[in-house]
Amino acid sequence: MGSNRPGVDTAIYGFLRRIPTGVLWLIVLLWSLPTLGLAVNSFRTRDNQRNAGWWNVWRDDGLTLENYDVVFSASATAGLKESLLNSFAIAIPATVIPIAFAAFAAYAFAWIDFKGRKWLFIATVSLLAIPLQVALIPLLRLYNFGSHWTIPFLEKTVTLIPDFDLVNTTTAVWLTHTGFALPFAIFLLHNYISELPSDLFEAARIDGADHFTIFWRLVLPLSIPVLAAFAIFQFLWTWNDFLIANTMAGTNPDAIATTIRIANLAGDFGRNEHLLPAAAFVQAFFPLVVFFALQRFFVRGILAGSVKG
Amino acid sequence: MQGAILSGDDLSKIISTLVLIVVAVGASAILWIGVNLLFNQVRTSWTRFNALAGYAVGFLLLLLLQGNRLLKPHGPDADSITRLGELLWTPLLGALIFSALAVILANNDDQAQRLWITSGSGLLLGGFIGIRLAEDARPELEILPLLLSTIVIAALSAGVALLRSRNPVPAALIGAALGWLIGGFGVPELGDGSAVESAIAAAVPGLAFGARIGLSKNADVAGRARIDAKSRGAIFLVPALFFVTVSLIAPTLTTIWLSLKDEDSVDFVWFENYGSVFTDVNSFDVGDWTNIFTSLLFILGVLIGLGGLAIGLVLRKRTGDGFSAGGPAFAPLMIAMVMIVFGVLSVLRGTIMNNLWWVFTVTVFSTGLGLAIAVLADRAKLESVAKSIIFMPMAISLVGASIIWRLVYVARDTSKSQTGLMNAVWVELGRWSTGSGIPTVLGTVLVWVLVALGVASISRSLTSRAYDKVPLRALATIVLLWIAYRFTFDGIGGFRTNSAGETVSDTIFFVQDQPFNNVWLMVILIWIQTGFAMVIMSAAIKAVPTELIEAAKVDGATESQVFWRVTLPQIRTTIGVVVTTLIVLVMKVYDIVKVVTNGNFGSQVLANDMFEEAFLFSNTGVGAALAVILFVSVLPVMVLNIRRMQREA
Repeated sequence: MGSNRPGVDTAIYGFLRRIPTGVLWLIVLLWSLPTLGLAVNSFRTRDNQRNAGWWNVWRDDGLTLENYDVVFSASATAGLKESLLNSFAIAIPATVIPIAFAAFAAYAFAWIDFKGRKWLFIATVSLLAIPLQVALIPLLRLYNFGSHWTIPFLEKTVTLIPDFDLVNTTTAVWLTHTGFALPFAIFLLHNYISELPSDLFEAARIDGADHFTIFWRLVLPLSIPVLAAFAIFQFLWTWNDFLIANTMAGTNPDAIATTIRIANLAGDFGRNEHLLPAAAFVQAFFPLVVFFALQRFFVRGILAGSVKG
Repeated sequence: MQGAILSGDDLSKIISTLVLIVVAVGASAILWIGVNLLFNQVRTSWTRFNALAGYAVGFLLLLLLQGNRLLKPHGPDADSITRLGELLWTPLLGALIFSALAVILANNDDQAQRLWITSGSGLLLGGFIGIRLAEDARPELEILPLLLSTIVIAALSAGVALLRSRNPVPAALIGAALGWLIGGFGVPELGDGSAVESAIAAAVPGLAFGARIGLSKNADVAGRARIDAKSRGAIFLVPALFFVTVSLIAPTLTTIWLSLKDEDSVDFVWFENYGSVFTDVNSFDVGDWTNIFTSLLFILGVLIGLGGLAIGLVLRKRTGDGFSAGGPAFAPLMIAMVMIVFGVLSVLRGTIMNNLWWVFTVTVFSTGLGLAIAVLADRAKLESVAKSIIFMPMAISLVGASIIWRLVYVARDTSKSQTGLMNAVWVELGRWSTGSGIPTVLGTVLVWVLVALGVASISRSLTSRAYDKVPLRALATIVLLWIAYRFTFDGIGGFRTNSAGETVSDTIFFVQDQPFNNVWLMVILIWIQTGFAMVIMSAAIKAVPTELIEAAKVDGATESQVFWRVTLPQIRTTIGVVVTTLIVLVMKVYDIVKVVTNGNFGSQVLANDMFEEAFLFSNTGVGAALAVILFVSVLPVMVLNIRRMQREA
């Protein structure tokens, strides 16, 4: 290759040297195209979507909010509004209650002396190893029938947990989420709470504060960063969850979450194909707001939560 | 938009949702704070604590009995408790009695009097409850088992207490009470006995429990501090431990148990379910294994691998360093590994093999791409913008991501214009390369310019003696050469020649064409998880001490040498974290397969299989077995992960 013409050589090598940056932005472009396509299509009419790809949007006669209108109307095929409420009815208790319970437990593991504390803590954290699929069948039975135990030899059945008729309710979904969130939440909060300076606790104890007061007045306010990180992670996890919502309440139209509504819409043999982009965007609206507004917390939450089962 | 956004129906739904949330969260909060406040009284006011605790115990005990319909109902309706008042009347009365007794005891330190009071009221309360028992809960006393179980359990309890060098009498009393309850209510058929019999069955345990309480002393200051501390540990732990037990521990044990039973969970079949999973061709099909050796991917992979091996061996003889990361043999060996695994797993089919394919592909590509992007973006202009865009898919649900990618993969009838991005590009490429006219000529020029650039990059690395880059660049150039050749002569992309000899468009069915539709599904998860890998590794790269990198540069190391020899060893643990996390996550992949193919077209995975067996085909045994297989396969990785977390904590 023309080694006697250094000008061309330099130009080519200069081009080659800029390739890495070019590759980076090429990847970024590729990464954003699928989402961009969905976003554009959500504003196009049914016919436009069916006749040409989203990149032909400049040929369309204007954009429309019609799809959003339809998915928000309460018709049987779309009706995203109720499922949004259901998602909130799942995600809010499933975020608040585990945080509270985990904060109690983390405080106890870190600052209350009792026998077997370390052993119990390790046992609790080890439960992270359980994938949630393993618990689904018995949990569904529990919500269906309650929990009964036939005592061996005596042949008498004792009701341990009565049948509260929870199956197909949002309550069953957030209860399940609560149980599954706890090992990880306890681990995360314990890391933070156990690192709080012990002088603080001694001073409070000398002043006569009991555990309840110390927890309420001292530990909770000091742990806000870690509570926020976990809250964001847990909210997104429960908001975006499909498996638990589908197993526990997937067949009740009055209790299904947005993810299930959208998956059902997608399985409709294409009749509502044109509504999917708008519906998917509505579902992704809250996570995306959290993502762009609280990116720092979001990153921290996701990184810490990556080990969750 | 037309009309109001919220109608009356929506408002009532919003209100009921809010009420549900407030009740759920509020009730838990009130209960927990209430218990805390109750035990706060231990140190401040012993009498008040006893009054409240007695009230709570009495209320709960009788609520348990009344709620289980073991007591005679008060209302006219004998069978059901229809009004809240009917349910709560007895518990409230019991609570008051218990509370009063507790107050008397809290203010009486005379040991003999205490014993008389408690035993007497225990006897009376037990007898009263026995008389009030519902007809079908009355036992017919059988003297022998009654005495036997009472004596045995009381003796056992006393023995245990003696072994722990404690006073045996209180333990024996508790044991006797339990033994009498078991012998009286547990052994015989319920419903045949008279009121007298059930009064005897309930009064004796009442007496024994009462006597046990009477033997205790009112706690002194030190004792109260001990109660306070002990109760606090329990109050803080019990909510979490209760949930963990009910929704994790017990179900896991139950699932393992169910996996050994048949589809109706009646008869024991031992390991038959596991056997049926591994003998079912849908989950494990390796019958066509000879086809591996005729698969192009496998053959090319082996060839490239042999080439890499040869380069490595020669280098090791010359320099003593043949197979280090980033060396000349590294890229060919990595590419060969991917090709061989793809070659093998596209032939060996079934759910289990598919899961392995998922784990391998998503883990390798997400980690590799994440690392590459982290390195490329490091210190680039607008670094945070680039990283945000790559990371954004993490915020979207897997269902949403699947919808997004369905749109990308759509294949439409070739007579219409393609609305899926990938097929549009593919079909357009076919038209471009087989057509004639200015675009085709331009395209031909472009592909050959790319080949020339590849050749230039090889000659550059040869003249600058950067031999370690030659193999990868040579491979890339060969691929480019093949593309250029096809483009110029046969054509490349989405077209086929029909029976009339005309060239017509042809699409790829990304979702349906087996077995590589699986790879297109994996792309969705790679699209999501690359951002995760990138963010973690980017943070690790930034944490590498600058002095190390500066020192290497002073010693004359090139950018790529710095990366392979300094940065990479420094972030090795982080890569381990990413890989283990991804393995566990991918093993459980479910949503994507469910939404895009629902397990059809040979794309079934363990988690979806488990869901279908357990909840659609009501084949509980096999479903549970699949769940246990999933559990066991993530267990080793999770154990590693948890141990690392605990070291770091």
